[in-house]
Formats: sequence, C-alpha cells, structure tokens
Amino acid sequence: MLENIPILSLLLLFPLIGAVITFLLGKNPKAAKLSALIFSAIPLVLSLVMLIDYVQTGGGYQFKESFTWIDALGIQYILGVDGISVPMVFLSTLLVFLAIIFSWDIEHRTNQYMALMLVLELGVLGVFMALDYFVFYIFWEIVLIPMYFLIGVWGGPRRSYAAIKFFIYTHVASLVMLLGIFALYFEAASVNGYYSFGMETINAVSPFFAESFQVIVFGALFFGFAVKMPMFPFHTWLPDAHVEAPTAGSVLLAGLLLKMGAYGIIRVALPALPTGANEWQWIMITMALLSIVYGAVMCLAQKDLKKMVAYSSISHMGIVLLGFATFTELGIAAGVFQMFAHGLITAVLFMICGVVQHKTGTRNIPRLGGLAAKMPYAATFMMIGFLASLGLPGMVGFVAEFGVFTATYDAFGWLLLIPIISVAITAAYYIWAMQRTIFGPLTKEVDIEHLHDVCWYEALPLAVLSGLIVMFGMFPALVMDYIRPALGTVVSLLGGI
Amino acid sequence: MDYSAIYPEIILALFAIVIPAVGMVMKDSKFLAAVSLAGIGLSMLAVLMHFYEGFGPAVFDNGLLVLDAFSGLFMMIFLAVAFVVILASGRFIEGEKHAPEYYCLILLATVGMMLVAASTDLFVLFVGIEVTSVSSYALVAFRKKDIKGTEAAVKYFIFGGLSSAFTLFGISLIYGITGTTSFEGIGAAVGTLDEFQEIIWLALVMVIVGFGFKVAMVPFHAWAPDVYDGAPSTITAMLAAGSKKMGFVAMFKFFLIGMIAIKADWDIVIAIVAILTMTVGNLAALNQTSIKRMLAYSSIAQAGYILIALPVATEFALTGGIFHIMTHAFMKGGAFIIVATLAVAAVGEKIADYKGLAKRSNFMAFSMTILLFSLAGIPPLAGFASKVVLFSSPIQGSVAGTEWLVWLAVAGIINSAISLYYYARVVKYMYVDELEENAPVERLKIPRSMAAAVAICVIATIGIGLFPDYFIQLCRDAAQALFA
Repeated sequence: MLENIPILSLLLLFPLIGAVITFLLGKNPKAAKLSALIFSAIPLVLSLVMLIDYVQTGGGYQFKESFTWIDALGIQYILGVDGISVPMVFLSTLLVFLAIIFSWDIEHRTNQYMALMLVLELGVLGVFMALDYFVFYIFWEIVLIPMYFLIGVWGGPRRSYAAIKFFIYTHVASLVMLLGIFALYFEAASVNGYYSFGMETINAVSPFFAESFQVIVFGALFFGFAVKMPMFPFHTWLPDAHVEAPTAGSVLLAGLLLKMGAYGIIRVALPALPTGANEWQWIMITMALLSIVYGAVMCLAQKDLKKMVAYSSISHMGIVLLGFATFTELGIAAGVFQMFAHGLITAVLFMICGVVQHKTGTRNIPRLGGLAAKMPYAATFMMIGFLASLGLPGMVGFVAEFGVFTATYDAFGWLLLIPIISVAITAAYYIWAMQRTIFGPLTKEVDIEHLHDVCWYEALPLAVLSGLIVMFGMFPALVMDYIRPALGTVVSLLGGI
Repeated sequence: MDYSAIYPEIILALFAIVIPAVGMVMKDSKFLAAVSLAGIGLSMLAVLMHFYEGFGPAVFDNGLLVLDAFSGLFMMIFLAVAFVVILASGRFIEGEKHAPEYYCLILLATVGMMLVAASTDLFVLFVGIEVTSVSSYALVAFRKKDIKGTEAAVKYFIFGGLSSAFTLFGISLIYGITGTTSFEGIGAAVGTLDEFQEIIWLALVMVIVGFGFKVAMVPFHAWAPDVYDGAPSTITAMLAAGSKKMGFVAMFKFFLIGMIAIKADWDIVIAIVAILTMTVGNLAALNQTSIKRMLAYSSIAQAGYILIALPVATEFALTGGIFHIMTHAFMKGGAFIIVATLAVAAVGEKIADYKGLAKRSNFMAFSMTILLFSLAGIPPLAGFASKVVLFSSPIQGSVAGTEWLVWLAVAGIINSAISLYYYARVVKYMYVDELEENAPVERLKIPRSMAAAVAICVIATIGIGLFPDYFIQLCRDAAQALFA
C-alpha cells in the first residue's frame, strides 16, 4: 500500500519541519511543547506503519529510496531498512515521543529544548536508515550537536565540562571512523573502477580485500563504534555525560546514542570487513567481558542512583558486543534484541531517576529510603525497571541475555562463567539499591509532608514502557521475527553457523 | 593582444583610482563603499561574462596573464571576499578620516591578488604579490592612533619585506638556472637539468621561505597572530580570507607547474611543514583568550590543511585544496566580520566578552556557531565537504612508494579533532554560560549592512555544505586547467 510514498524520507522530514516550527514558537512555551509532541507523534505513527508494511521474510533492504547527491564524489542519498534497522527506527521514534512527554515541565528555553530533541531524532533516524557511508557519517555527526546543547544548557552543575567532554570524545572517535570509511571508499573504487560511497556497492567487494587492509580498517571503524557504545576502556565520557544531562537527554543518550555504536558494528564493520573482524574477534570478546564485569562492579560502588544506571549501561552494552563477537546467528540476533531491550529498560531507569531527583531533591542512595510508603507508583515503576534490567524472566532483558549467553556457551564454552558471574553482581546491586531506596526507614529527604507521587506526564511514558517491557518479554518473536531473517548475509560472511 | 583577459583587473583598477577623486567631494563612508561594491560587481560580471560566452582561456601579452578556469575561480573568490569586507566596512569605518584611501587600497589589494591568480610568469606573480602586500601594510595601519594597529603594521611590513627579498632572490636563482621566468618554461627546463641540483635546492629553499611567510607557514608564522590581532577586524578578514590565499595560489603555480618534475625533492619537506603548521596552529589556539588571536591561530592550522594538496600533487588533491580555500574564505572571513560587527556594537574582543551572546544577539551567536562548526568540519557544513575532499586525497594518492602520504590524512584528522575544542569553547560561552546575575541583558544594535555581510558568509557556508556538487566541479575544472 505504500509503494509510492517515500516513507523513510518522511520519517526524516517531519522531525526537521517540526524542529523549525517548534524553534520559532519561542514566545509561547505551551505551543512549542504541543508542536514538538505532534511532530514526534507523526514519525511514531509512520514507523508503526512501516513495521506493519515491512515484509519480514523479504530479506534485503526495503522501502529503498535513492537520489544522486554529490555526483563528483559518488555520493548518493540512499535510505533503506532491513530487519536490524526496523526495530531501531521504531525504538527511536517511540523514545523521542515519550521523552518529549516526560519533559513537559521544562520551563527554561522550552522551544529550543524541544527543537533540539527533534533534531536529535532526525540524526538518529538518519543513522539507522542511511545506506551510503557519507550520508551515514553526516547523520552520525549531526547527533552530536543537539546532545551537546542538551547537556550544556539544561544539564546539572558540571554540565559545561560534561558537554564538551562528550563532544570531543565522540568526535575524535568519529573522525577515526571517517578515515576507515575513506580507505574503504578508495579501495572499493580501485576494484570497481568508479567512485561510490554506497554501502551495498562497497560491501559487495570489501569482504575480498587483502587481510592486512581489513585488519587495519576494521580497527579504525571498530574504534569509532566502541567509543560510542561505549566499551571499556573508552567509556569515561559516559558517566559524566549521563550524570549531568537532563533526564530526557539521558534517556535518549542511553536509549539511542549508545545503540548507534552497536548498530555501526553490525551494519558497517562486520559485513564490510569479515576477515578483519575474525582477527579482531578476541579483542572484541575481551572488551565485551571487561565492560560487562567492570560496569557491574562500578555499579556496586555508586552512591548516585543515576551514575549507577549509567554504569549499568556499560555492562549491558557489553552483552550486545559479546553477542556480536560470537559470530553466530543466535548471538548476533540476541545482541540486536538486547539493543532494543536495553533501549526500553534504560529509558525507564533514567526516567525514574529523574522523578526521584525532582521530587526529593536528591539522587543520593543513602539519603533516600522508604520511597514505597510515600511514592507507591514511582516505587513500582522503579521495581519494574530494576527487575527488567537484572534479567528477570518474563521481561524483555531476560530473552536477550539468555540468547547471548546460549550463543556464548556454544561458541566459547566455559568462558560463559565470566558474564554469568556478572549477572549475579547485577542482581546484587539492583536489589541492594532497591532495598536502600524503596524500602527501609524514611529518611529526612523522603519524610516530608507534601511529597508528590509521579505526575501524569511522568507516569504515562513509564507505564507505556513498562507495558512494552513485559509484552516483548512474553512475546520476543514480535521483534525477533524481524531480526533473524536479516542476518543471513553477515553470518555467512563471518563463516559462522 | 587580447585585452579581454584582463578586463576584470582593469575595471577594478579604474575604480580604485576613481574612488579617491570621488572622495574629494563625497566623504561619506557608506557612499564610497557603495561605489566600491559597484566596481567589484562589474569586475565579477566581467569574469562571468567571459565564461558565459563560452570563451576558452584568454591569454594576454604572449602568456603573461591568462584568464582560464583556474584564475577565473580564484578571481571570483577574491572578489567575493572583497565584496563582503567592503559591505561590512561601510559602517565599520564610518567617521574615519581616510575612508577614500581605505577603499582604494582594498580594491588595489584585490587587483594584486587577481594578478597573481592570472599570472603565468614568476615576475608578474611577484608584482601581483607586491601590489597586494604594499596595500595591506597601509591598511593594517589604517587607524594610525591605534598603538596595537601601528605596531602590527610595522611588524607586518618588516616580515613582508623580508619575505619579498627571499622570494626575489629565489626567483633570480631560478632565472639563472633555467633562463626563463614562465612557469611552463621553468617546468620544462627543470625536468631536463640535473647538474645544477644544489642551486635548485637553494632556490627552492628561498622560495619556500618567501611564500612561507605569506601563507603563515610554520616556522614563519609568528607575525600572523600579532598582525591579525592588531589590524582593524575587517582588514583581518581580508588578510585571512584573501591575501593569505593569494600565497597559496602562488605556491600551487610554482610547485605544481614549475617544480613538478623534481617533486621527489620537495614533497616530504612540504609534508612535514604542513603537519607542523596544522599542529602548531591548533595547539596554540587552544588557550587563547582573544577571539582574534584564536581565529588567527586557527587560520594557521587551516593553512596547514591546505598545504596537504602540494605533496600529494594529484588533480584530486588540488581540487581539495582549492575547495578548502573557497570554503575557508567564507568561514574565516565571516567569523572576522562578526568580530568587527560586535566591536561596532561595543562588545569586546576577548572570548569571555562573548558570554551569553545568544541572549544579546541571537543572529550573531547563531552565525558564529555555524561558521565555527564549519571550521571544525562538522557536517553538513561547507568546511566538512572541503575537508572530506582534502583529507581523502592523500589516501587516494598513497600508491606504492608514497604510502607515507596517508599520515597527512591522519594528521589532518587528529588536528580537526583538537580544533573542535577551541571552537566549541566559543559556542559554549555564547550559549551555555549564563551572564552574571546583575549584568545588563540588552539586545545589541547590529548595523544592517554588516549583518548582511555576515549573512552572505553563513548562507554560503550552509549552501556549499548542502550542495557541494557544483562547487567541487568548479574546483576540479580549475585544477584541470592548472595541470593542463
């Protein structure tokens, strides 16, 4: 039914138009909020339409659009989605929509804030849909600017340090990735005889490049993506950025920006340079395991609720990389599923941090206690988030982790013990944190007369996300059926099973 | 003789001569600016007409000057720079005593740059450089009561004179060796010589030092921050966006036509100097407190990027070099004009003075943000497009024997990453940092003509960034014309 509608371009167009209109509504904060809400709702609807219309068994890229953009350099504006990007596109439109609702109480420069959220959506969607390396890179970099301002203008006390650190770190990584892309571009041109940045054009020939070339270029690309994910030891920008970012900024940072790194590995690095990937496999595994363990152990030590959630992201993104590094269909599929699952769960976690901070004025775990008595709804959402994140069966996180662990055991045997132990640590820090904040005696921050529970604009996104966490936990096939058929090519290139 | 090759220069020179005469009757700066703008417009029209009518390269006087795709493109760049500078100057120098001389000198400097672009002969090139240089010495000292400005002018004059002496010595040696001063003749002669190697080296060193001063190449860059800081900001815009680029045109012609046969003897030297220039420029820019000095060091760094085109020496690399000169002219010119505009609106020239600028003038803060992000190479702005072509060229050019060229791309990319810090810092001051509690937050009065000049630069930066195809094609035609 959608043969003639460029649905992917529309997905980019509406946030763009929305950003401009919202920005111009500077005099009227209420209208700015409404406009942002509408212009983030339209992409959500479009992405739902796309979900329905996507042919799961069709394989390849669907809804493709392509126009020549810069002929002199062989750059084309090509968009397309496959089973890996479809869940990510849905996740992006959903999280931005919910984050805008959640930010309903933003009073400071409302129009700019909302416009930046929409620009961010534009960039993230572009990354997930671009099929031209050059266009991919442009969207990749566009994402940095709104996030820089979101942290820098609406962030916490150390916001200007955190914002610039985030900007520089990820920009350096992107530039190294760009070098890798240049190398691919020229090497492919010398084989093809014409210049093109097209992903399909380059990826058709690049798996057959010399091994030495593949090893170096894979390293450059992997570095760019690993910083974004972020993997130990390139993670240091993340705790700072998260702690200082406004709540909705953290939600999108953890929910979407980290996914860009993982998406880059599965979309670009692995299929383009499988031989190089084979050489790097053990480094990937080591980094993944270190991130899983390091993130979990750091969580135990945190007193700040938000910082704990930030470190848990490092641990959970490590699981994604571990899944990819198995080079098996199950592992990669579960890794992609974990990207999706982590997006939903971490959004709940950061929102609840925001709620607690907003109502009690602190996120310091020792100063909180007995929230359940005063804020039963908030405490419930917090429990749902924590339990989902520690991998309780029946929730979305469990499916992903179970899949990755099964694949890890198949591929590497008893190496599985390391991530399994860290799951125990994860359970420990979440339950411990729960004990100290939700239960126990009331502290003086919590025990005040008029401590409100969640408001409507906080409860609504939390409820939607909690519902989805359970729904996709019960019926993982809803997402898996998109992902698995799309992995055939990359798995066969990697020589896996 | 085919005078059509030099119509653009003739028109502009005529206007330069007429303006002081007009100034006898009408001293109003805005009126004189309008006259100058008309002259620039006509000169641009002459360049465009030449290509619109489909003429091939026009040659003047047995090939001393030529109007082809290369020189035509650079003339348009230089004229565009002069256009925005003069557009902004109408208000900037309002009420100053010597307005007619000011416009006359800017136009003459532009004529000099155009001569350099059109020259096919070392001596004509040298004359062009001198015309521009002498005019700019006077322009830097335009506010003769301003101590910083006059000091800068003296420094500029001494360094400039020294650089001319070096260049001239080098040229004389080359004439002695090859018996000719035309680039093509030199190129042909150098290709067949081998017994004069040592003297060629001496000549090369002399010319590199001479041109190196002009483009503020490390280690001959020390004058640039002082002069850029001391000169009136509109003149700084012209120096950074125009006359410095003239030095690159001279280098392109000298090395890529005249000395291409012995490329193996100089390419590694220039490559090392390029990496040094970008690194020193960026590192020094990191902790500047004056916005003009910061931009001056950033100019040095950008010169380092452009130098990449020389050792790679492919058509693609030259395309990138020319493209980056084009985009840099708008980015850096625009940034200095913003500094000038804000100075008129009584904002200081310290970076700290830009605190909270977004609240005081949204347009200026937004424009500065776009230009700075473009300088840092953030897509989809013009600076990103030109850096892509420029930085990817060494990777393309690194074939067997010259694999080391890849390091130029690596250095460029690392440097771009460093540079983001000081560009983003200004943006942070403008948008993120709040003003002190009791500081007055009144909106600035921005002169309309200056805002227009800034707008032209911003629109060009965004436009070239979004639709680079046509401009890359222009630069490629220019590169082809030079190599032909």
